Amino acid sequence: MRFLFIDRMLYSSASGDVRGLKHVTREDYYLCRDEQDKACFVPSLVGEALGQLAAWNVMERNDFTRRPVAGVVASAHLYRPAYVGETIVFAVQIDELDETAVRYHGTASIDDDVIFRVDGALGPLLPMKDFISETEIRHQFAEINRPGEMPALQRTSDADKQVDARGLSLVVLQFDHIVHCEPGVSISAEKRITRAASYFPDHFPRHPVLPMTVLLECQLNLAREFLARSSLAEQYKIDELRRIKMNDFVHPGDIVRCNMKVKSQDAEKLVLSFRSEVNGSRVCVMDAVLVAKGVS
Amino acid sequence: MNVESVYPKVREIIADVLVIDESEVSLNSRLIADLGAESIDFLDLVFQLEKAFDIKIPRGQLEKNARGDLSEQEFEQGGVLTEKGMQALQSYLSEVPAEHFKSNMKVNEIPTLFTVETFCKLIVSAAAEQKASEPVA
Repeated sequence: MRFLFIDRMLYSSASGDVRGLKHVTREDYYLCRDEQDKACFVPSLVGEALGQLAAWNVMERNDFTRRPVAGVVASAHLYRPAYVGETIVFAVQIDELDETAVRYHGTASIDDDVIFRVDGALGPLLPMKDFISETEIRHQFAEINRPGEMPALQRTSDADKQVDARGLSLVVLQFDHIVHCEPGVSISAEKRITRAASYFPDHFPRHPVLPMTVLLECQLNLAREFLARSSLAEQYKIDELRRIKMNDFVHPGDIVRCNMKVKSQDAEKLVLSFRSEVNGSRVCVMDAVLVAKGVS
Repeated sequence: MNVESVYPKVREIIADVLVIDESEVSLNSRLIADLGAESIDFLDLVFQLEKAFDIKIPRGQLEKNARGDLSEQEFEQGGVLTEKGMQALQSYLSEVPAEHFKSNMKVNEIPTLFTVETFCKLIVSAAAEQKASEPVA
């Protein structure tokens, strides 16, 4: 159950143009169910894979001396899940890079349709040795760095071929329990962070910290719980995550408390604001924009 | 463009970046001590200011501006500001009250001094530099 998601890096240039792919298969560990009970890759981890592809390019360019970590994302659009049997093609463009930070944008596509888009991603660069040994990171890079043409694929997106989630081993990334809920107004939840979690060995060997995308997925599932408790689940769907910012690392042993409240609401749009804290200090903030179902 | 003219927008952006109410932000607020800013907020803030004012602020520009004509060695030694370095910093950050400058200050402590006005000044100087470097038509 690796927390490394790029299967193959197809192209990586010194100007920061990067391409890679991931097959979503029954062997994937991070599978969940969509609203129709079809098995799909955990949606927030599509963003993780995109960030990892950007990181590979950055680390190759700085000779594996520094690695980017999660910082700020201006906007992430989730258009649809990636289903078992589909191949995700990632394209990242590094917009700015120096010794302290990287800024990039990118897309994840299936059969040329964009399923996920990230804009204005900004990550600080920290010393590699604090996170993973140079030998190990170079070995991981060598495993996936196989430049070449995109393999010829039959069209992978086919609703008839989507795999039923029942019978598959699924992962639900969510908070442990709801602390408080005022339907239509706010909800709060807690998650205890355990070293036993599957993502820690890779994220990172020398400094295990909660991946921002795991926290985002927990927050999205909290939003779904809030919609259900507020009788709004039939009215709105998640469209965009905005102004995501990871302020501090979350370590095993920490307890994350997330407070979510309605920021604005009308017939077309519902905006939810999230603030996650450890010991009262903010570790992550974001807004989730939900749009009325039936509105593209 | 001057500090007064850019302040309303800078105030709005700082409140937005720090997820606080605009009323909590004043020209002399210190970003870290008064407004709770953390290192990632500075990265975010500079990016948002660049977008809003259509300017480029190279990272570390504030420290570079503070150093002025001093060489790196004249400015700091072993990560601690020299006497000359401290004078240059106090002169550049003229908006910061003298009692906030402590002796044997480390270079990585400089951001603790930054106020909202510091960023207003940074924008004004970056915009002026950008204008000066534009080719004359």
